[in-house]
Amino acid sequence: MASSSRTPSGSRPTEFTARQADDFSALRRLLLAPEQVQLDRLRDRLENFSLRPQEVSQVLPDAIRLRAQQDNRLLASMIPITQEALALSIKQSPQLISDSIAPILGPAIRKAISRAMREMLQSLNQTLEYSMSWQGLQWRWEAWKTGKSFAEVVLVHTLRFRVEQVFLIHKRTGLLLNHIMAEGVSGQGEEVISAMLTAIQDFVRDSFQQSQEEGLESLRIGDLTVWVEQGPSAILAAVIRGAPPVKLRDVLQGTIESIHAQYSDALRSFQGDASAFLDTRLLLEDCLQAQFVKKPGGLPFSVWVLAALLLGLLGWWGYHAALQHQQWTRLLNRIEAEPGMVITSIREEAGNTVFLGLRDPLAVDPQMLLEETGYAPATVTFRLEPFLALTPEMIYRRALLILQPPETVSVSLEGSQLILAGHGSHAWISAVRERSLRIPGIVSVNMERLIDTDLERFETVRHMLEEESLNFFPGQMTLQEHELAKIEQIKQTVQQLDDMAKVLEIRPSIHVIGYSSPEGSESTNTALSALRAKYVWQLLDPLGLRMISLEAIGRGVDPAALASSPKEGQSYDSSRRVYFEVERLPVSGERGGE
Amino acid sequence: MKQKKICLLGGFAVGKTSLVRRLVSGLFSEKYLTTIGVKIDQKMVTIHDHSLLLVLWDLYGDDDYQKVRASYLQGSSGYILVIDGTRPETIDVAIRLHQTARQVVGTVPYVLLLNKHDLAEDWKVDPATLGELSRQACLVAKVSAKTGDGVESAFSALAEAMLNGS
Repeated sequence: MASSSRTPSGSRPTEFTARQADDFSALRRLLLAPEQVQLDRLRDRLENFSLRPQEVSQVLPDAIRLRAQQDNRLLASMIPITQEALALSIKQSPQLISDSIAPILGPAIRKAISRAMREMLQSLNQTLEYSMSWQGLQWRWEAWKTGKSFAEVVLVHTLRFRVEQVFLIHKRTGLLLNHIMAEGVSGQGEEVISAMLTAIQDFVRDSFQQSQEEGLESLRIGDLTVWVEQGPSAILAAVIRGAPPVKLRDVLQGTIESIHAQYSDALRSFQGDASAFLDTRLLLEDCLQAQFVKKPGGLPFSVWVLAALLLGLLGWWGYHAALQHQQWTRLLNRIEAEPGMVITSIREEAGNTVFLGLRDPLAVDPQMLLEETGYAPATVTFRLEPFLALTPEMIYRRALLILQPPETVSVSLEGSQLILAGHGSHAWISAVRERSLRIPGIVSVNMERLIDTDLERFETVRHMLEEESLNFFPGQMTLQEHELAKIEQIKQTVQQLDDMAKVLEIRPSIHVIGYSSPEGSESTNTALSALRAKYVWQLLDPLGLRMISLEAIGRGVDPAALASSPKEGQSYDSSRRVYFEVERLPVSGERGGE
Repeated sequence: MKQKKICLLGGFAVGKTSLVRRLVSGLFSEKYLTTIGVKIDQKMVTIHDHSLLLVLWDLYGDDDYQKVRASYLQGSSGYILVIDGTRPETIDVAIRLHQTARQVVGTVPYVLLLNKHDLAEDWKVDPATLGELSRQACLVAKVSAKTGDGVESAFSALAEAMLNGS
């Protein structure tokens, strides 16, 4: 081009220039055609600047990600829109929202409940474990000595570590954003402590010329440790008793990170109003961890004591229950076996056992059965109607009661027949038959082996009297001295017989019989025998007998002397005599049969 | 409830700690002042029915042995400059501290207190000579930590200024 400008001509330059321009354009088209198209498009884009949805959709995800990495402004600008959208959505379709958040709320509620339960159980466990053991007693002593509460002493001895307090502190101002404490921990001046912690951090940072991002990580005083977790705008300080595990650091870190993620705006714009951080409580509570020393194997002493107590109680109850059951069974068996008592039903009335049924008045007193079996009498009542039992035992018992037999009489029962045997007085025997038949259940009485002792004695004495004999000299009608001496004995015997007749209620006759020997004439002998009988009768007559009548009878010659002629040298002395015969009417009931 | 961090600044022995003692019964011992250079207390004030918790950072008096740590000033919403009315040299210290505070926390409300007002016969500071320092302050007051005169109202004035500013 420089050479052409130097060409000397008049009109040529114009022609040349026009032609040159065409050539230039052609050349330019040839060389820059593709770029020209691109330039045109770009110009068009710049002049008509508006974004097209397709283009935006391609870059939007990356754009959001990149912007979020830079700072939180995008997030901040989206919050009001999201909140409004959410509010509108809840208003329009609450069910949808409630379904969506249910999976989150459920576990959160469960977590809160299980945490509360765990804390409660832990405190209950500790109290149980240590309140009754020897160690527990020692710790009680320590608590009393040091003036601390028992729970505090237990905690000190059993704690591996426990996060007692968590401070969330605004880094720049040192002001307290939130603070939580474990159960039973008392705090004071949290705001001041928060500021002081910040001051200490500043002091250390300044003193050792560390950057703003660095900070104290840990403070330790005695068994208290303060772990500090730094965030860009806030710090988390956990006050821990005992030796915390390293993994607790991860928890603290996670918490401060979560808080920064969720509260970045609030942290940035913090002007002293901590109410925006109230909800951090849920996050902070995750840091309130604790671990207790595990007791070496086996069950705690208190559990053993409790178990032993329980077993003892159970044993005691079991023993008493078994004893009571045994007494109850014994009582039932005893009542069942007892004659004259019939239990128709047993029922419970206000804690009392009531027996209903029938009882023969002669049956044993049921209270005695209670005492005998040992069953608590206070809890048992008997309501038994009286009745007459016709069991052999009761008939027998009633017979004994009514007949009142003397010891010498045995009473037995065969079916409905009462058998009386042995010796009884005349008076008792005379009444026994009638009384026996009045006893219900007795149809007949067998008295064959029942001996009337009064009658027996009467017979003996009668026999003694009939053995007596008063001998006379030949021709004599009075007695000699030595024979007369027998009369006193005979008188006594007769008197006895009279007394017995009175008891026996009989009126016997005593025949005073006189005999003579065959010597002499018959008429003489007859008269003599009568005189001799009369003589003895007269001797006895003054006795004044009440029941016995005396009769003098002369029978002449002794028939024994007539039966055999006397041998040589034999006399008829034994024929001249008076003897006695007692005649009596049978006693009523004597030798009673059926 | 809002909280505000405020700092107490002033030269050695101007009576800052005594002023605080009039207001609150502290949790920490005053030995912290000489060890880490700060003692913290809190004071609740009520401004127009709003409660405000003042967290007071009582900074160690600036002297030849120890300088106020600038980091302690960070995050303050206001501060209190204390001058000993009987010692004019404490004005220079106050000016220096004021400048430090401005550098660290920017323009925030402050009150200027001329302490030891009770020692009238020894009074040597004329408020008119305080110039810039008193013009920028939201309150300049003569106070007495000994008698308590003006202390409470000085804190209230600062609290109100901070609330209005935030």
